[in-house]
Amino acid sequence: MTDLSVQFTGVTKTYPHFTLSDVDLKLPTGSIMGFVGANGAGKSTTIRILMGLVHQDRGAVEVLGHAMPSQQAAAKRDIGFVSEDMRLYGPATLAWHMEFIRSIYPQWDALYAQDLLRRFDLKPAQKIKGLSHGQRVKAALLLALARRPRLLVLDEPTTGLDPVARCEVLGELMAVLADEERTIFFSSQNTLDVEQISDQITFIDRGRIIDSADKEIFLDRWRRLRLVLPPDTTLPRLPGIVQVGGSSRLPVLTISRFDPAMVAACQEAGASVQAVDSMTLEEIFIVNVQSRREGAIA
Amino acid sequence: MNISIVARLIWKDWYLNRGLFVGSILLGLLTLGAVATAKGAFLPLILGVIVLATILIGMGAVLMSSMVNERRQQTLPFVMSLPISYLEYTVSKLAGSLFIFFVLWLALLLGMIVTILLTPWFPHGLIPFVIIMSVEILVTTCLIAAVSVTTESQGWTIGVTQVGGLALNAVGFSIVRLPGIRDSISGSAVHWTSTATVLLLAEFAVIALMLGTAFFVQSRKRDFV
Amino acid sequence: MNSSIVISQSDGRPMYLQIMEQIKQKVAVGEWLPGEEIPSIRAMAVTLRVSVITVKRAYLELEREGVILTQHGKGSFVAPDPGLASRLYDGVLAQHLQQVVRIGTTLGLTTENLVDRLRDAEAHLNAHILEKETL
Repeated sequence: MTDLSVQFTGVTKTYPHFTLSDVDLKLPTGSIMGFVGANGAGKSTTIRILMGLVHQDRGAVEVLGHAMPSQQAAAKRDIGFVSEDMRLYGPATLAWHMEFIRSIYPQWDALYAQDLLRRFDLKPAQKIKGLSHGQRVKAALLLALARRPRLLVLDEPTTGLDPVARCEVLGELMAVLADEERTIFFSSQNTLDVEQISDQITFIDRGRIIDSADKEIFLDRWRRLRLVLPPDTTLPRLPGIVQVGGSSRLPVLTISRFDPAMVAACQEAGASVQAVDSMTLEEIFIVNVQSRREGAIA
Repeated sequence: MNISIVARLIWKDWYLNRGLFVGSILLGLLTLGAVATAKGAFLPLILGVIVLATILIGMGAVLMSSMVNERRQQTLPFVMSLPISYLEYTVSKLAGSLFIFFVLWLALLLGMIVTILLTPWFPHGLIPFVIIMSVEILVTTCLIAAVSVTTESQGWTIGVTQVGGLALNAVGFSIVRLPGIRDSISGSAVHWTSTATVLLLAEFAVIALMLGTAFFVQSRKRDFV
Repeated sequence: MNSSIVISQSDGRPMYLQIMEQIKQKVAVGEWLPGEEIPSIRAMAVTLRVSVITVKRAYLELEREGVILTQHGKGSFVAPDPGLASRLYDGVLAQHLQQVVRIGTTLGLTTENLVDRLRDAEAHLNAHILEKETL
């Protein structure tokens, strides 16, 4: 039985204009899960429930072995949280924040903090209100990382960062995983980042989890088949066709459960297979959402 | 209740609002000095006390602003990501702000009593009334604190402050007419009546009720951020 | 051991295949010797900034192909097979030859044409080397 850092079972939360329904999540210790969804899909709500900042209406949430939100104080001792809408205290300096955090968490690693200051190019004496958006995000990440928490929960950690800063942050996140007892959960609209560093990927749309699997399984299962259909030939019937694009003579099939035998099946049906393309995570996500909204997917 | 972390949170609020706090204390002392040198005419004294009361309430509201500001400045997620429960957060906010206010308030109350006792211009019979009205100010401030921490809204806090100020004046004028107070107020000796005791007890009960209600409302909240 | 593997995001192939190919190249040219220890899956993931699961897959496939060995609790090593490097290099040659045949067929060349072209290429390369030596 794998050790789970985070477990959601049937979590539901109802708001006047939005409902998070029946969310199930399993995050094994030592892995990193990327949480992908459009704006308003429920990423932030899910993360807030994870942190115990919002109380779910139904369902169980367990984080690092603690029930949330009732045991949130104990859980948060080992969780580092950075969210895009989170602000630090403007009139205070970064050094003040570092000292404040250090006084609360005994696991603060001062040497690592100095290292991060250098790598993130931040000046401790600078007041938070004088920092740019990117610098503020890096400052908040520093405060979370230097404590070496067992679980990192990040809501859009690379949004708004310049490419160099993004690279730095991704590097630091991966360095966290060098310790197989530490886990990361992050939401992102940047599918490239998610595709690169995630072990597991979960898609959310309109308050529902629409897919969750190992990254390699996602990338293996989805394919685009480019066919040439001779006249008077019908499209072969294949399971898991999510979208049909292209033209009637040159159809492009998007398949969610690809099997190499399908290529032979197409050829037997009279179509010639021009190409079997793999898809990027972004393409998979978009097709997944579009087809669900149109009610097509199996 | 993790006392050390609540203490840390209170220290944080004091540090971040230190300018406000120091300014309020200085203003309070200045006002006290002004009233002390008003040389005894009754009307200026009453006016002075009203001004003092208004200033005290204003300061109270400013002190409570730390609760509203967490939400306004979006630092609430940062604070709530610390290893605390929402109850500990509420305690730190109420205890932190009210404690400073209480120290200030006590200093001013004692200052007023000393001024009355030591200077020849004020009848000592004023003292029970001054004590009751000062506790009334405390009641109003606790109301502002309770509203502030539960609504986290600047609009509501300002509204309650203004209503509280007006109510204070109304209450003051009604109490002054009560037989148990009116009869001894201009006397040269301190005369503590049963009316005064009842009023004082009622005020403390109201404070306990308001703070209790604030905690109750906070514990029912399902969205802390 | 400094890992100089570089993953390209613009390369259309899956990341685990890129990793596999670069590891095989390192073994083929002798940069990583048979029996030598290689970075652990996690260490490699951190250096490459790629998910652990991708590196794990690459290592698993490499193990299946007999290029590396993973001993539980001890780490990962290049397979202690002295002929491995030349076998891998041989595999690279085979891939290139297949490419040559494929392109040649598309151009409509016969096997003789291809052999002539091969001789031309060899001559051209030798001339180029000679030129560099005389400079």
